[in-house]
Amino acid sequence: MRRKGFKKTMAMGLAGMMTVGLAACGGGTSESGSTQTSEAAAATEEAATEEAVSTEASSDVTLEFQQWWGVELPEGALDEICNEFTNQTGIKIETLSNPYADTKTQIAAGAAAGTMADVVGLDGSWVYDFAKQGAIANLTELMGNAGYDDSQLSDQIKFESNTYMIPVVNFAYPLYVNMDILKEAGVSEIPTTWSEFLDAAQKITDNTDAAAYFIPLNTEAPNGIQNQLSSWVWASGGNLLKDGQPNLSGNDTIAETVDLFKEMYEKGYLSPGIEALKEQDMVNEFENGRLAFMVDGISHLTTIKTESSDINFEFSTVPVKDGYTGQSGMDVANWGIGIAENCEHKEEAWQFVEYLMSPEVNAKLAQLANAFPGNSKAEPDYSSNDALFQKAYDIFQTGYAINEFTGAPTSEDLMRSFNEQFVLYIDGDVDSASSMLDAVQEAWIPAFSK
Amino acid sequence: MVGKKKGYVKAIIIVILVIGTLWAGFPIFWMLDNSFKNNADIFTFPPTWFSKTFGFNAYIKIFQNPEEIRFFINSYVIAACVVVLTLFLGILAAYAFSRYDFPGKKIINTLIVSVQAVPPITLLIPYMSLIVSLKLYNTYFALIFTYLVTNLPYCILMTTGYLNTLPKALDEAVKIDGGSSWTALWKILMPTAIPGLVSVGMYTFMQAWNEYLFALSLTKTNSMRTVPVGINLLMGQHSYEWNQMMAMSVLGSIPVLLLFLFFQKYFIAGMTAGSVKS
Amino acid sequence: MIGQAAHSVAWLAKGVGVMANGFKKQSTKTARRVAVSYSYLAPTLVLMLIFLVVPIVMVIGYTFFDNVIVNKNPVFVGIKNYVSVLSDKSFWPAVGHTLYFVIISLIAHLLIGMVFALILNTRYLNYKTKALFRVLFALPWMFTASVIAIVWRMMMDPSGVLNYFLLTFHLADSKVLFLASRDLALFSVTLINIWSGYPFYMISILAGLQGVSTDLYEAAALDGANAPRTFFYITLPTIKPILVSLMMLDFIWTLQQFALIWMTTGGGPVNASEMVSTYIYKYAFTKYEYSMASTAAVILLIACTIIGIFYVRHQRSEA
Repeated sequence: MRRKGFKKTMAMGLAGMMTVGLAACGGGTSESGSTQTSEAAAATEEAATEEAVSTEASSDVTLEFQQWWGVELPEGALDEICNEFTNQTGIKIETLSNPYADTKTQIAAGAAAGTMADVVGLDGSWVYDFAKQGAIANLTELMGNAGYDDSQLSDQIKFESNTYMIPVVNFAYPLYVNMDILKEAGVSEIPTTWSEFLDAAQKITDNTDAAAYFIPLNTEAPNGIQNQLSSWVWASGGNLLKDGQPNLSGNDTIAETVDLFKEMYEKGYLSPGIEALKEQDMVNEFENGRLAFMVDGISHLTTIKTESSDINFEFSTVPVKDGYTGQSGMDVANWGIGIAENCEHKEEAWQFVEYLMSPEVNAKLAQLANAFPGNSKAEPDYSSNDALFQKAYDIFQTGYAINEFTGAPTSEDLMRSFNEQFVLYIDGDVDSASSMLDAVQEAWIPAFSK
Repeated sequence: MVGKKKGYVKAIIIVILVIGTLWAGFPIFWMLDNSFKNNADIFTFPPTWFSKTFGFNAYIKIFQNPEEIRFFINSYVIAACVVVLTLFLGILAAYAFSRYDFPGKKIINTLIVSVQAVPPITLLIPYMSLIVSLKLYNTYFALIFTYLVTNLPYCILMTTGYLNTLPKALDEAVKIDGGSSWTALWKILMPTAIPGLVSVGMYTFMQAWNEYLFALSLTKTNSMRTVPVGINLLMGQHSYEWNQMMAMSVLGSIPVLLLFLFFQKYFIAGMTAGSVKS
Repeated sequence: MIGQAAHSVAWLAKGVGVMANGFKKQSTKTARRVAVSYSYLAPTLVLMLIFLVVPIVMVIGYTFFDNVIVNKNPVFVGIKNYVSVLSDKSFWPAVGHTLYFVIISLIAHLLIGMVFALILNTRYLNYKTKALFRVLFALPWMFTASVIAIVWRMMMDPSGVLNYFLLTFHLADSKVLFLASRDLALFSVTLINIWSGYPFYMISILAGLQGVSTDLYEAAALDGANAPRTFFYITLPTIKPILVSLMMLDFIWTLQQFALIWMTTGGGPVNASEMVSTYIYKYAFTKYEYSMASTAAVILLIACTIIGIFYVRHQRSEA
């Protein structure tokens, strides 16, 4: 008798507990009911279909589009572009927009667990790893199935000779120059060569409180190596890779660039504390008028203009090695696009990619993002963009676009090992630039030989 | 003579209180101060104490953004569910440990303690696959179950210790009167144990409220995310929204602070009873 | 979703019923007690089995295979991954830093927590003052790791407020690079961790102190014992069980600290503040070598479990 009573109470208790839990949790879930229905993750595909059936009584396809672009574009711009696509095709797009770093963690985790959104914004440096893991779909195949003419694409990022990412828009990385600081320091011309740059840096250090240059070296986000150091190598016609293999050992251009940076570090031209700082801190310093030069994406143009309207700045080319007269490579970053391998509607997903790459849409995206279009036939109307942007565009035309970390294996890790050796060198733990580069080469080789 | 010594002791106490206040309070004062500044003023050197731009802009921005309000709602719902479920299951298990002898008790006890030692980051990858295959990805349940299992061991250990301090005569009396063990647990033991449960509940609430890594990895849409993730989302690619991050941190810690203020008497009493041995 | 949960409720309830039924047939008293105790434990055991034991077993499985997840068909490699991790030249510095971080944190937590708790327990302060400072000193405990990292990064910046104080009061000649210097980074992250962790000790010790019987103190006072003697012969022995439990738990928690380090220094500069936790993260999420990451994780797990076993023994000897 007693036992029976116990059993009953126990079962009721359990049910009661779950009800309490459900009531509380259910409140939150049902509240988001409308968004939930359409958002229901790719991971819960079945659930998503069920819900779609029950609430919409149609079998419309909804694609999730995860990227960081929505955060960087003017508010609502991306959704507007996606809605237009829905109007044309009836395919719904659910945008998942988060900042870059968060998107990256999400996509990396999603790649491992198979929960990637259907269409994903990609950075060129992630492509190799995701393609190798089989997390992103082979676009060459999809283009073939759709009979797409890919000659209009200005670039395609490949892995084992198949395309896995298409750059939608490209951003150049010019030199930002704070003209007020130059004036205060008594520098009349924007430096274009290394020796002019060192002269200017010396004057800035002597006559102002500002730092001349900044390279973020925090190991959490080691992309300073790509954007603030390698950009100087590329500007002087140098390369980090040769025939797709590391080419650091005995590479004079890189060794000289590294020595230039060491000199800047030792003479106090660089902002203090860069070993723990990130790209965002660099932008902060620039916005606060404490930094004369920085290499940064033109996508930051609008933010910097609004954050510190009182700063008078210009764009210029990254200074080149004295005596170098060839063309300059200009660092580019891109908003690339790819399709998840776990996407169940690849055909529709490709339709969406094709839409984003179509000349008109692509031109509009480029114009909104202060970027250059990924479709060579797109003709963006930049007349409403900032006058400075026009200048950057002109600068961009004089050189060629380059970024050797795009499509490289474990790019971030390559940058990190370069970063570590570089800090050891400027700290004086390694005796010469060439032995530092030997060490980096050694660290890079395993990644390329896999 | 004695008075002199007393004065000496008092002086030391005051010095320690002042140092302690600076040490514990300054970073928080600084956070509060910066949440009222403009983004550009945060990094001026020398620092400004009360900036010209002093204002509630950052707070207004947060309150105007439905997405950020949503983070708070999510955190409340999840933390509340976790506290209720953890306490309920923890009490049941603790009751078994405290009042019964059964085969396997030692092994289960060791297991429950050892799993506390598992570094959460270790489990991230397989755990994600598990959550996906259970179709819990991007739901409240993913986070609720996660925090439930990670907090259960601590809850069970503390509650067992606490129940051990209550005389067995209490539940014997109930049984003699014909009540079940279930009645004894809920009608007699639990009311006596409330202070201990409050302390465990607070600890659990804080763990669930503050967790970041799993909250980020197990959710996909912003409609499912919690406050710590929301704070991190303010670190854009261009630049940090420092003032908003500070404001959100301040707002995010208010519930925990209120709970602490409200329950601190119980809390300390509970800790005493739970941790001073049986 | 809700349907599913309801289903699992039914399933759980049924499970409890079946268990109770199953044991009903044996009518001995022991069997009934076993049945009852296991039905109290069942929900916890089921949850822990699904959400903890399964992933742990999976992680352990990963360590015996060649690069899982990236390779679609991983090959069994035996203990090769363990050999690679243990012979990795960046693993041991990470272990060393972790030990420094954990040990210094533990000692500082204990000292600061003890001093604050003793102050807040003296008879020289009135009730309201005590309550005020109790909250004030407990403040650092209320913040999540990412917030703590952000605030301290701001303060420790070369242009941050700490450097302002150091320069204004002539405590330093030039700006101190707390997080950017290889000599200071490990110390700085440890300092941050000390700040965030001592309140737990303070509160627990305070609770313990309030449990010390006043009779003992009175007796000591009659015997003419001075304050230090009273502390070492009466206070300390009484709260020793709490201290041991606290330190064991804190050891495990500090060993696992990741967010604080990742969000301040990222393990750098170079590897100056690299810990086992950041080492694991880098292997998993930037090198995409999940097997190696899992292996390092399992090594950490083994270390933690050994501590866990000591903890259980301690608990038992106390009980």
